[in-house]
Amino acid sequence: MSANAQPVAPVAPATKSAALLRTDGVSIQFGGLKALTDFRLSIQQGDLQGLIGPNGAGKSTAFNVLTGVYQPSQGEVFVSGTKVNGRKPHQINLLGVARTFQNIRLFRALTALDNVKVACRAQTALHQSRMGVGAKLANAAHNYADWWKALLLTPSFQREERRLTAQAEHLLEVMGLSHRRDEEARNLPYGEQRRLEIARALGSQPRVLLLDEPAAGMNTREKADLMVLIRKLRDDFKLGVLVIEHDMKLVMGICEQITVLDHGETIARGAPAEVRSDRKVIEAYLGDSYLESHGGAA
Amino acid sequence: MESPALSIPEAPSLVPPALRGILPLVIAIPTLALFHWSLTGSDFATYLLSVVGVNIILAVSLNIVNGMTGQFSIGHAGFMAVGAYIAGYTSLQLKEVALSFLPVAASDQVLFLLALLAGGAAAAACGFLVGLPSLRLRGDYLAIVTLGFGEIIRVFVQNTDAFGRALGLSGIPQYSSPGMVFFWVFLVVLAARRLAGSSHGRSLWAIREDEVAAEAMGVDTTGYKVRAFVFSSFFAGIAGGLFAHFVPIINPGSFTFVRSMEIVVMVVLGGLGSTTGAFVAAIFLTLLPEGMRSLFGALGTEGSLAQRVDQIRMPIYGLLLVVLMLSRPQGLFGTKEIWDVLPRWLPRKRRGLA
Repeated sequence: MSANAQPVAPVAPATKSAALLRTDGVSIQFGGLKALTDFRLSIQQGDLQGLIGPNGAGKSTAFNVLTGVYQPSQGEVFVSGTKVNGRKPHQINLLGVARTFQNIRLFRALTALDNVKVACRAQTALHQSRMGVGAKLANAAHNYADWWKALLLTPSFQREERRLTAQAEHLLEVMGLSHRRDEEARNLPYGEQRRLEIARALGSQPRVLLLDEPAAGMNTREKADLMVLIRKLRDDFKLGVLVIEHDMKLVMGICEQITVLDHGETIARGAPAEVRSDRKVIEAYLGDSYLESHGGAA
Repeated sequence: MESPALSIPEAPSLVPPALRGILPLVIAIPTLALFHWSLTGSDFATYLLSVVGVNIILAVSLNIVNGMTGQFSIGHAGFMAVGAYIAGYTSLQLKEVALSFLPVAASDQVLFLLALLAGGAAAAACGFLVGLPSLRLRGDYLAIVTLGFGEIIRVFVQNTDAFGRALGLSGIPQYSSPGMVFFWVFLVVLAARRLAGSSHGRSLWAIREDEVAAEAMGVDTTGYKVRAFVFSSFFAGIAGGLFAHFVPIINPGSFTFVRSMEIVVMVVLGGLGSTTGAFVAAIFLTLLPEGMRSLFGALGTEGSLAQRVDQIRMPIYGLLLVVLMLSRPQGLFGTKEIWDVLPRWLPRKRRGLA
């Protein structure tokens, strides 16, 4: 790998305050392994960004840092201006960041509808981070009282259940899964499982949607549909979207900005055309020998 | 097509929503009263029914943690012990007290209820203290901690004068009756079924299915696990309290690790996640030794096997589990309820809420 001579285009500083999701020089280390070095990212509403890189480049690690699964060794992560270092994944989700998983992680024994309802329901929880003891006790009391409502089937509980059902049904419809409403998630075909994961993520009413290889295992036709769908979701739900994807056609086709990782370092950032002709990117993907035999960048 | 066992039916019901919560009570209480009065004949039948009921409460409540939430608690007898000793102790202290504005029998039952709730609350508090640190972690920590807790409680009681040390507590007023026990059976089944069908239950199922994904979708997994555990511990405490009021003496020997494992076996046999499965398995496993006793008694003239049923009971449980794991690893009903697996020609209960 060549030295990091060329500086990578910086994140536009003027829009920092408006960013829904922003990282500031995030690094993460597992023992001696630097999985991510000085990772910078800024996502605004309406963005459709891509995150690419060879296998093991740190893309999924980046997702895990953004969603609170891993804590950064250095640097800070902000969601809508709030610093979220040290917060738990569910707290970050409640602040408006939802994700899908590379290897589908649906609630397999639950129906499609219930999968979405779990995410919808969680959003009614009180935000619990950084609270005093008094507020925490009040919150705990609220949570236990909520269980009693369910046990007594109070009218307010039933109203809430109906609202959740309606909301989840709507999301299933948006994702074209209405006909699978009462089927267990594990019985859905692969492509539909991927779409159900997106529906579930939308159930948590995110402002930023992180998609980890949404097209993996899909055929060409499904991929084309997915591209249209992702754009539509961004517009209809007013989201900022970050996509990890190996399929170059898909990434180059829909993303307006692409960040390229290799060995945890950001080696390029920019519009698809720029990234595609970047020497370092080609090197990372195809190796030095390719460049030597083809005499430089394409 | 798989039946959606975990969803709430949206079908309109004839019962107005406000009444839906109370209706089961309206039906159940007279039934239980009838049941209670019909049973005054035999002491042994009364005792056996009470034991069956207590085991149902234990199994159904443990199923909330081990089945629905997918955790692994193996110290249920410990929480039962807390309930039994606290409730028993309370009743002993209040033995001479009578509420003057009530007839004696009614006063006793009110005091009994108080003692039960004290036992349940103490067990729930223990559940909270045990659960909060150990449920933050994923995996087997809960099993280790609950195992330790069960033993600590037993040893603690064995060395505490107020609880009668190894001799146990005796002279606890025998307030309990099958009617009272089955009233609580009814409550725990209703609560478990309602929980399973509610949004909270869905969050528990989600944790069971994939904790990482549940957390990522905004479910406060630690909070939910602790609440499920407290809920389960409360009913274990109630079961212990009931137990203390129909056996002549409670001692640490009644709440050993073997007792905990019995309850785990009931839940696994019934199907992890199935309330009615735990219910059926609890009845089956409680009556099994009695059945064996009668059977061996009828077969062998000496009756030696019949006398040793308590010793051969555990190997038989083990054998049963091995057979189960080989032939039906998901348990009797899996995560489904009895009405989901009944033959088609039988009238089926509507899926969902109890």
